[in-house]
Amino acid sequence: MAQQAAALIAALALALLLLAAPAARAYDPNTPSVPWSQLSPQEQRVLGPVAPDWDRMPGFQQQRLRSSARRYPSLQPIQRERFENRLRDWTAMTPEQRRAARETFQGFHRLPPEKQHELRERWLRERGGGRGRPPGR
Amino acid sequence: MNEKEFGEKLKPWLERSAHSLGQVQETRLKAARLRALDAYREPVRLFGLVPMSAGTAKTIQYSFVQRALLFLPLAALLVALAIQSFPDSADPGDLDAMLLTQELPPDAYLDPDFRAWLSKQQP
Repeated sequence: MAQQAAALIAALALALLLLAAPAARAYDPNTPSVPWSQLSPQEQRVLGPVAPDWDRMPGFQQQRLRSSARRYPSLQPIQRERFENRLRDWTAMTPEQRRAARETFQGFHRLPPEKQHELRERWLRERGGGRGRPPGR
Repeated sequence: MNEKEFGEKLKPWLERSAHSLGQVQETRLKAARLRALDAYREPVRLFGLVPMSAGTAKTIQYSFVQRALLFLPLAALLVALAIQSFPDSADPGDLDAMLLTQELPPDAYLDPDFRAWLSKQQP
């Protein structure tokens, strides 16, 4: 019985480690940098707005951007436009600012759709000053 | 002498013998008593079909629970691996791509006013 309990605890601990692994990988500061010249032509095209800063970025930030860029082909035209327009400002933020923005974004997306709409409209009306609205809206 | 009187005469002898029993015999007697009680119970039908003694049914039920517990660690591992295998949840870049392509710009999520409004909406 004690052996069964030990096996159970070991398996649960392993399962928790496996679940925590993606988060740990996302912030691994030892991720090696990749020179701009080694990116594929498609990555260079999508990440073009940050090309001048690319080689100075830490490896984990490059990895995350490349991962975001993989979504680009599946985006709608308006989303592609937003991605291109915002990428440079996004990479210019500090890691703490990006982390804070992600946390707030996740909290925002946990709200019911009608609350999201209310908050979005309120921010765009009072603070956005047209920044959030893409051209042609 | 009826059964009750016989029982009362026998009781002091049995109690005297019981005091001289060792731990092992006591445990074996207890087990034998439980087995006898199990056998004495009304027979049951397993899954409403197979008739068997209540004791056997209990044993089968216990062994099912025990086997299920044995498979629990394996099930936990399989669930963890399955969750990890979903590319959307494992790819941290997806979150950034979503954040960058929504109607609200990323700096909205850093605006103290927006965060204050959001915290008021959260339970």
